[in-house]
Amino acid sequence: MIRSRRPPFPTTLLWFWFLRILPAWLGMAAVIFLMQIAVAAIVHDNANVKMFLTILKHLPSIVRTAIGGDLVESGSLTALLTVGYQHPLVMFLYMLYAVGVPVGLLPGETQRGTMELILSRPITRTQVYVCAAILSLAGMFGLISMMFLGTFASVHIYTFSEPIDLSLFLRLSACAALLAGAFGSFALVCAASFERLYSAAGVAAGFLTLNYFIAIVAEWWPPLHFLRKATLFYLVYYSNLWYAWPLENMAWLGAILVALAILGGIIWRCRDLPS
Amino acid sequence: MAAVEIRSLTKWYGRSRGIEDISFAIESGEIFGYLGPNGAGKTTTIRCILGLLRPSDGEVRVLGQRVKAGRGTMHARIGYLPGEFRIWGRPRAERSLSVLAALGGDCGAAARRRALAERLELDLRRPVGDLSKGNRQKVAVILAFQHQPDVLILDEPTAGLDPLMRDVVLKLIQETAAAGAAVLLSSHDLDEVSAICGRAAILREGRLVELAPISQIVQQGEQRLKVWFADPTLRPDAAVARLPGVRVVEQEPGVLHLAYQGPAAPVLRWLSQFAVDRVTTPQTSLQEAFLQYYQEPSGSTCGIGDSRGLRA
Repeated sequence: MIRSRRPPFPTTLLWFWFLRILPAWLGMAAVIFLMQIAVAAIVHDNANVKMFLTILKHLPSIVRTAIGGDLVESGSLTALLTVGYQHPLVMFLYMLYAVGVPVGLLPGETQRGTMELILSRPITRTQVYVCAAILSLAGMFGLISMMFLGTFASVHIYTFSEPIDLSLFLRLSACAALLAGAFGSFALVCAASFERLYSAAGVAAGFLTLNYFIAIVAEWWPPLHFLRKATLFYLVYYSNLWYAWPLENMAWLGAILVALAILGGIIWRCRDLPS
Repeated sequence: MAAVEIRSLTKWYGRSRGIEDISFAIESGEIFGYLGPNGAGKTTTIRCILGLLRPSDGEVRVLGQRVKAGRGTMHARIGYLPGEFRIWGRPRAERSLSVLAALGGDCGAAARRRALAERLELDLRRPVGDLSKGNRQKVAVILAFQHQPDVLILDEPTAGLDPLMRDVVLKLIQETAAAGAAVLLSSHDLDEVSAICGRAAILREGRLVELAPISQIVQQGEQRLKVWFADPTLRPDAAVARLPGVRVVEQEPGVLHLAYQGPAAPVLRWLSQFAVDRVTTPQTSLQEAFLQYYQEPSGSTCGIGDSRGLRA
């Protein structure tokens, strides 16, 4: 009788997938990094700040809320620098990565027919899922790191009229990483559950978009303030991260991230592939 | 110990039946034909053997090890060629094949891959997306054979290949089986199956309707009789004679080609009333025998080209 042995971890697959998504990741990282430099380039100059605040006043109130709300209108340079963290383009890129990578790797390979080839080799379904999860979550954390690095670089490139507290941006980045990771984990659940790429992408993107718009509208329109707690953004927007590490909220986000990632793994393992 | 052993394997897709109560075994060194029309359940069986699908009932053992869905434990020793072969289009064929070979930790596959490519006259430096259908099929053949598997599961291995390459692939299958590998060959090309398989199983609507050596399957079918009459204008009416189990395959003036089931005596008795010049007994082909398993009482074929919502 031949004894059963767990196949070794498929680093080959991890590397193969990593190289496939690397060009897209580099492009997104470059845009996010340069966005922070661009925001700092505007913010470091007092004349630009005044002009920026004037433009802000002429924008619809919902747009002002979307890029930082009252915080930005306060005119604090630190607050203005956070515009680069909340800009819709940056948010869109995070969403693109959070949804695109897990969906492209799991239902994407299944729909393409290559998952059947991968699973015909000595590799477990769980290992395939772990490879996709590593690339999804590590990639998200990497993008957030590039965002912080952009702020770090711009603080050293430009001279500001008031001190910039980098530790705030570090806290903000850590919370953003956990938030993005939680959304990435939700996308992993969708990727593990749906056979069709567009179904998985549609549900995951729909959930992210709905969360984002509920968060903005609930903040912008007072009658809907009660909806603030209905989104994952609440755990970042309404935390005390401006003053200290919001450990409780970070723990919640971390727990959601891990729970969703594990749920996705269980679904993926129990499914017929391809069905 | 059989290399592949399937016991009472059943797979339902919700309310639709995939396969039901399938049992057979393939010994090492054997080439086993697995036949059936589209939707009969061939691919479902293959995917259960590979652990891609979770059976509703029954079990599969490969090289003595029970297959558990999603575990991939014996897959280093299985070579698989899917019916609808699709692989990443952009990387070179060599790269895609080496990634899949390396998933088993098999680093010795490179030399065999190159030897196979040379034998199949395939340039592995080209991206798979740029290859013709036939050349993509060669990539699939290399994928299945590159790591010297002990069990080969081949779903339409020669689809899209020219006759010369088809012979090369069939020879490759025979050589691998001669070296001790168990081969499950699913194919619609029945000449190919009868040429290289020792035994075959025939599926109909998810159930096994036959499991026997090819020679026995062929013999179990209709027997043929071709008669030349002394009078070249004679056209005896076999239908009028109402002979049981006899049908007319072809009839021309002076020549009658009959197919019959059961004993030959009633046919010969009926023919004895005519002056017969000569008689031949044409061989029934596997295709003719195969078609009989799908013959409805009315004479039409069922299940062929009619998936009825079932999975292939």
